[in-house]
Amino acid sequence: MSEVIQTKKSAEMQEIEDKMTMLVQTGRIDNLIDLLAVVSDQIEMTTTPIVEKMVHSIDNIATAGFVTENAVRYAKRESAKNEIPSLFGMLKLLKDEDTRKGLAFMLNLTKGIGKQM
Amino acid sequence: MKKQILIVGGGTAGTMTANNLANKLMPEINRGEVEITMISDSKIHVYRPGAMYVAFHKAAGHEFIRDQRSLLMLEVDFIVDKAVEINAKSNYVKGKSGTKYNYDYLVLATGCEVAADRIPGLQEGGDWFYSYEGAKKLAKKFAALKKGRVLVTVNFPKTPNIPHQCGIAPVETTMMLHDYLTEKGIRDDIEIIYTYPTKSQAVENGLFLQAPTSDVLPMIFDSINVKHKTSFTLAKVDPKTKTAYSEEGEKMEFDILMSTPPFIAAEVIRKSGLSKALDDEGWLPTDKKTLKVKGLDNVYTLGDTVDLSVSKAGGTIHNQVDVLVDNIAAEMRFGYPTESYDGKVIAIAQMGLQCGMPLWYDYEEDVKPTPCSKLGSFVRLGFNKSLYWAAARGML
Repeated sequence: MSEVIQTKKSAEMQEIEDKMTMLVQTGRIDNLIDLLAVVSDQIEMTTTPIVEKMVHSIDNIATAGFVTENAVRYAKRESAKNEIPSLFGMLKLLKDEDTRKGLAFMLNLTKGIGKQM
Repeated sequence: MKKQILIVGGGTAGTMTANNLANKLMPEINRGEVEITMISDSKIHVYRPGAMYVAFHKAAGHEFIRDQRSLLMLEVDFIVDKAVEINAKSNYVKGKSGTKYNYDYLVLATGCEVAADRIPGLQEGGDWFYSYEGAKKLAKKFAALKKGRVLVTVNFPKTPNIPHQCGIAPVETTMMLHDYLTEKGIRDDIEIIYTYPTKSQAVENGLFLQAPTSDVLPMIFDSINVKHKTSFTLAKVDPKTKTAYSEEGEKMEFDILMSTPPFIAAEVIRKSGLSKALDDEGWLPTDKKTLKVKGLDNVYTLGDTVDLSVSKAGGTIHNQVDVLVDNIAAEMRFGYPTESYDGKVIAIAQMGLQCGMPLWYDYEEDVKPTPCSKLGSFVRLGFNKSLYWAAARGML
């Protein structure tokens, strides 16, 4: 005589079973397993040096974003505060050390781009 | 009249506060109503948790040091000057240069410092990874180590219920040491002994400062052959014979003493008369919810300077900053603080060289040990070497 074993399931367990059944019946479970395998493989194959190089690139992008955002905000505020400078006013602006520092940086940046062309 | 916000300290807490305040108060700054000034005794910014990687030759050290100005938004006026006096009655901080910095709101973010001289012989006989110089010294010793014993000791402040800097660090470094020696192929020739003091914040005679972790640590240490000993409160060190003595009357010999040394608040805080901590440790009496210094309505504090029971770590500061910044902004806009700190700490512990364990807790719930993973280790590494700088800049 066969014996029927019944297990008590919570409503959550039943819901998970129903949803998994639907994934199995429609064959989509295979894609999900493939996806999990790909994610798992990526973790397995990633090494500390790879992570270091990746985060270095992210840091460079974040730094560039931070510098640019600061500079744009500053320029907007200064432009709103002051009138459009005359030619003499431009020269006065050029006398400022920070302006010259920024300009020299921009010129060197241009040179750096030029070197790669 | 412009409102002056003065931040003292250019570490994690000060830098995050300055940038987040500038972001939050941008409308007021644009209208010329608010000025934010930071004074720090150094023009460089040091990411201190990086030092433990230096100890195990996983970083050179320079990766964790940057120019302070490069981390601050342009709206933050940055001045290199060492704060030497805090006058909370007349609302100014005096610098070593003689300059008086007036404030309407003051943020004290001066951190804490190693005070190894509080244990006789520790300065000469011990090593620690809480500073780059210390970590480099330790790295040299580990590189030369062929056999013998590494003894790990942990020290807690005398003031009750206050942790040492970065609560999980002694566990992290013990496990990193195990992995490092295994990588070198000499683990079997070196005995690692992890000890913990009798009184450690919330726990007595345990291996960690919170019970759930303290309970599982023996099993974890046993699995990697790390010997462990409770009730070993370091009393003195004899550097000549390389022997550590405990308050409980035990002694233990070592080849390397990897110690979590005593910590105290910065000198300017200790001399300010604001602290009531024992043994001149200088922790600031802090309202656990508003993060104001108790008794001072316009002075806030956060990070390693506070007398709260939560960890003195970046994962704490990251959560405190948002509350503190919202409260200062609300005070300016509505006349009262609106946010409340729940004690939240979020971090990833480096449980060995290749395994990271996410952890979180708050005033109400202790940290629950979870399995560490390779992915967790990558996230921690990513934070150390990249995301930290974005967080310090107020971008995260």
